[in-house]
Amino acid sequence: MKVLFINGSGSDSSINGFIRYAIDTVSAHGHDAKELVLRDMKYSPCRGCFNCWVKTPGTCVYKDDGDIICKEFITSDMVILSSPVIMGYPSALAKNALDRIIPLLHPYLEDVGGEVHHMKRYNKYPELGLLLEKLEDTDSEDIEIIHDIFKRAALNIQGSLKFMKFTDSPVEEVVHAIINN
Amino acid sequence: MRLSIINGSPRGNSGNTQKLLEHFISGFLATEGNTVEVLYSIKDRPDFTPEKELFLNAERLLIAFPLYVDAMPGTVKELFESFAPLKGKNPGLKLLFMIQCGFPETHHTRFVARYCEKLARRLECEPAGLICKGGCEGLSVQPPALVDKVFQRFYELGKAYGETGELDDRLLAKLAYPEHLTSEQLQQVIPVVNNFLWDDWMKRNNVLQKSFDKPYGADL
Repeated sequence: MKVLFINGSGSDSSINGFIRYAIDTVSAHGHDAKELVLRDMKYSPCRGCFNCWVKTPGTCVYKDDGDIICKEFITSDMVILSSPVIMGYPSALAKNALDRIIPLLHPYLEDVGGEVHHMKRYNKYPELGLLLEKLEDTDSEDIEIIHDIFKRAALNIQGSLKFMKFTDSPVEEVVHAIINN
Repeated sequence: MRLSIINGSPRGNSGNTQKLLEHFISGFLATEGNTVEVLYSIKDRPDFTPEKELFLNAERLLIAFPLYVDAMPGTVKELFESFAPLKGKNPGLKLLFMIQCGFPETHHTRFVARYCEKLARRLECEPAGLICKGGCEGLSVQPPALVDKVFQRFYELGKAYGETGELDDRLLAKLAYPEHLTSEQLQQVIPVVNNFLWDDWMKRNNVLQKSFDKPYGADL
């Protein structure tokens, strides 16, 4: 199984050490695990031009590290979006990365369980996990809102949200959630 | 009445968020003495100095954005993060949000709307309402009569807001229709959007036959 951590934290976040340990443990179980450290990457925010759907299908107009994000995302079996909860939501760094994966979808709409969603471009999409670092002002309402939004986001990117874990839980718990997915 | 607006669309003043705002604003300005100021936050990242100043001085602030991957665009999240030090600095501020999405059902916007309402409380402002509207990507291909109806409703909402200082719940509900689609409506709407919006657009660019290209691997 190929496991990808998308690290949307700053350099001082506890997430960094957490991910390193999780990668070692997941790898020791014989899986291929890696991370993308977003703060070290260069990518423009999505400008909403839809060229990736109607002009160069499947490819973003920007030639930058968004390309790496898309490639790593679509070739993984499980993607764990990892971020501190800043102002009640994962970081802008993480959200800007997530906005860049729409070339992986097709613009066509289809009926998914009675709701309109986008059609698949590829045959297989990764399952999603969330790894969050709670900050001082993070409360249970924030967590509930994030959970509900990412359940929706997972559906829209053709996967499902398999788990939501926190950096104050044991790494083994997260590894267990990944491996037993 | 003075209304301050931040248009958070990554498309700045040339997107659907702008079109809807224009009609809301012209309704709001129908009341004599009302004034509006608008900022486009995409131009002011990453510091958002004008937006922070506006937040501190506004009486009523409307933040409008399109739905990106089920939430606010990343650049709007940057704006919200920049507001962190402003918590409690303008406690009388009435904070409103407008969220529009391309999906035909307004329901898609309801989840980030909960985030926005919480954000208003987090900043110790007065949560003063959420304007939610689906079906906006189709605006360019919908029959003009339908589009005019949408614009007319934004005008009415803005007008009522300009008169009373409150968002009218009845108008908000009318605007949000359809919240969900019936299976018959799904069968009608989906082919219309796929053919008249996306296929036409791809045809114009001569790429319809490449529509399902898989640049990251044909076998994926």
